Amino acid sequence: MEGFLGGLAVLVDPYVMLMVLLGTVLGIFVGALPGISGSTTIALMLPMTIAMGPVPAICFLGAIYCAANFGGSITAILVNAPGDPSASATALEGFKMAEKGQAGLALGMSAVASAIGGIFSVVVLIVAAPLLAQSAYSFGPPEYFALALFGLSMCAAIGGDSAVKNLIAAALGLLIATVGMDLTTGVERYAFGVMELSDGIGFVPVLIGLFAFGEMLDQAARRYGKPTIAFTDAARVPGWAEMRKCARSIWIGSGIGTFIGALPALGATTAALIGYNETRRWSKHKHEFGHGSIEGVAGPEAANNAAVGGSMVPTLALGIPGSATTAIILAGLIVQGVRPGPHLFNEQPTLLYAVFASMLAANLFYLAMGLYMARFFARISLIPSAFLWPAVFVLCVVGAYGPNQSMGDVYVMLAAGVVGFLFRRAGFSPAPLIMGLVLGGMVEETLKQSLIIFGDDLSGFLGRPIALLLFAVTAAGLLWPVASRLLRFARAARA
Amino acid sequence: MTHAGVGGGTDITARMMMVSAPAEFGQEFTVVNRTAGSGAQALQYLASRPADGHTIILMTQTHLLTMLRNRNLPQLSDLIPLARATEDPQMILVRRDSPLRTPEELLAAGRARSLRFGGTHVGGVDHVAIFAFGRAAQLQQPTLVPFRGGGDIVINLVGGNIDVGLLNPAEAESQLRAGEVRPLMVMSEQRLSGFPNVPTGKELGINATAATVRGYAVLRGTPEDRVARLEQGLIRAMSGPIYRGYLENTGQSLDSVAGREVWGRQLTGFYEEGREALTALGLLR
Repeated sequence: MEGFLGGLAVLVDPYVMLMVLLGTVLGIFVGALPGISGSTTIALMLPMTIAMGPVPAICFLGAIYCAANFGGSITAILVNAPGDPSASATALEGFKMAEKGQAGLALGMSAVASAIGGIFSVVVLIVAAPLLAQSAYSFGPPEYFALALFGLSMCAAIGGDSAVKNLIAAALGLLIATVGMDLTTGVERYAFGVMELSDGIGFVPVLIGLFAFGEMLDQAARRYGKPTIAFTDAARVPGWAEMRKCARSIWIGSGIGTFIGALPALGATTAALIGYNETRRWSKHKHEFGHGSIEGVAGPEAANNAAVGGSMVPTLALGIPGSATTAIILAGLIVQGVRPGPHLFNEQPTLLYAVFASMLAANLFYLAMGLYMARFFARISLIPSAFLWPAVFVLCVVGAYGPNQSMGDVYVMLAAGVVGFLFRRAGFSPAPLIMGLVLGGMVEETLKQSLIIFGDDLSGFLGRPIALLLFAVTAAGLLWPVASRLLRFARAARA
Repeated sequence: MTHAGVGGGTDITARMMMVSAPAEFGQEFTVVNRTAGSGAQALQYLASRPADGHTIILMTQTHLLTMLRNRNLPQLSDLIPLARATEDPQMILVRRDSPLRTPEELLAAGRARSLRFGGTHVGGVDHVAIFAFGRAAQLQQPTLVPFRGGGDIVINLVGGNIDVGLLNPAEAESQLRAGEVRPLMVMSEQRLSGFPNVPTGKELGINATAATVRGYAVLRGTPEDRVARLEQGLIRAMSGPIYRGYLENTGQSLDSVAGREVWGRQLTGFYEEGREALTALGLLR
């Protein structure tokens, strides 16, 4: 308790709060730019934090992390270019809303849902981090396999209106996921001797191409410009009615995001995609999905920001980072002489709670900034296409090149853009393709790892209760529509 | 020039050296990250530059295995080692409640059945080290369960999905301190200062070592006077307090920094070990 109050004291320390504010502004800015991710920024800022002292340094880095995740949604909504891979699920509905002239609504909801998701996960982190961290140990390859299968089982339902088309897109995503060096055989697949392909096809160039460049090609091919959007509509931010409508999505997203973030092998991108699936599954307005659903923005945004707090669980409590970003934050902690692990909660509670308090503060800062700036950002959606899209194209190229400084990624982005254009023309949705790409590699890898662990005996899964439970939930989700239809038929026949 | 992305372990090693290197050489330093193909792209980039000592590669064992598997790349004989930057010995770890309580029990069990070792991908550095360990200790060929990285290996070791983990002390630090995993032996020449009670493999009669090493090299053809200047300058740049603090904070050996003789011998040794292991595993064309 003493540690908790000591930690809260940082909230009135002007120097620390200034650092959190700076981190938040920087985070939103780099998050919104495709190509500069939160993790790159934190890596570049790391040397500057060495001189700061542990509390301000970690608070600064943590604030960048929190805010960058929110910042990614800004460009996703406005120009369909996810600034961060975790914002790709947001682009699915968010950009459709912007096209309808509801950019302000989407941006505002993104800020609110992100902040609630982020705060929820930090509260969970404060209450249950050591406990949650232990559950990471019971997640081995068999459990991850079952979880990835659960995510994939929704492929037919998300995205476009045609289940067959969704499955085709998902299969394409799975195929792309097989490119590169296979972990369990050490053999390169579908690389054709091209060095850039031997590490597999990255998410970032595919996402940027599929969404932003594909959208640009599509805009260019349209004969008429898009209908003029009334300024007053575009700048409207969400009110109580929208909040009430999205409450359920936000809670679903927050819960899923925190849990998935706490698993070391999964990150914000997976959290957002599964959050999107589940939001849709439990929504009362399913028909709006795919046409600009505000719930479809709220769910994944809550999930990807909740995953930020969640991913701090294994980082702080086990010393095992779950993502590139937390790996660099971990390096920052170690440079400051902080040794993460279960003992951290007893040995340095003040530092720990200071980090939590600053993360709460960062969430509130970007909520305020996000809501305030939504009106102004929303005007970007009013810029005529002829000016807006060439600028977006520059961002696409820089964004694809940036993370690995590789021209190979730029070519992948251009190819993905053509695929995205053909998808739009033929009525396919990119969502199942992304699901297949993100989860496909994991499904294959964890199944092979499981089989090695079980000595090539499939019955080994029977000894894993968590995996069995997830299999059962997956089966129920797949069979429920069939079963409910059969029941209805039976009832109709009786009547 | 490194094969790691910005913020990766090898990238940070280079940046830490570069804090004091500009003063040493009177030259600015920049990091070029060429990440593709497990070092292949980095080697290719090196080969595309003039052999004037202005392009220095920070290489690891991974590069050697990549060379072995792709003969079109610059080979070890095309490089001049300059200086070693880090050496991080690996340990044999088991979980707290493992039935393998002592090194002797581990060896006995490993001779009776194939133990499951956690490591990185098939044909990677860990695989070679595990293979060499198994052969030196006369075990049945160990089963490699491949994972994406050290964190995954630790979790699966504690979770009971693998029997043995081959890890750097820093990778399992928090679990070691919490007593969730126990070290059975260290795979270095001497006992580690942090673990004075843990015997080395050599003390137990196992003639094998395993360590994560990184070091600098330039293209062959670089003039000898420049090579000597680079060797001296790099060693001095890595003797400063900032670099030593980095080694200490990341749990790496303080005797990491070594000249080209030691570093070159180590590279050659590992190159041969890697060739034997990959051939025996059927992974070399």
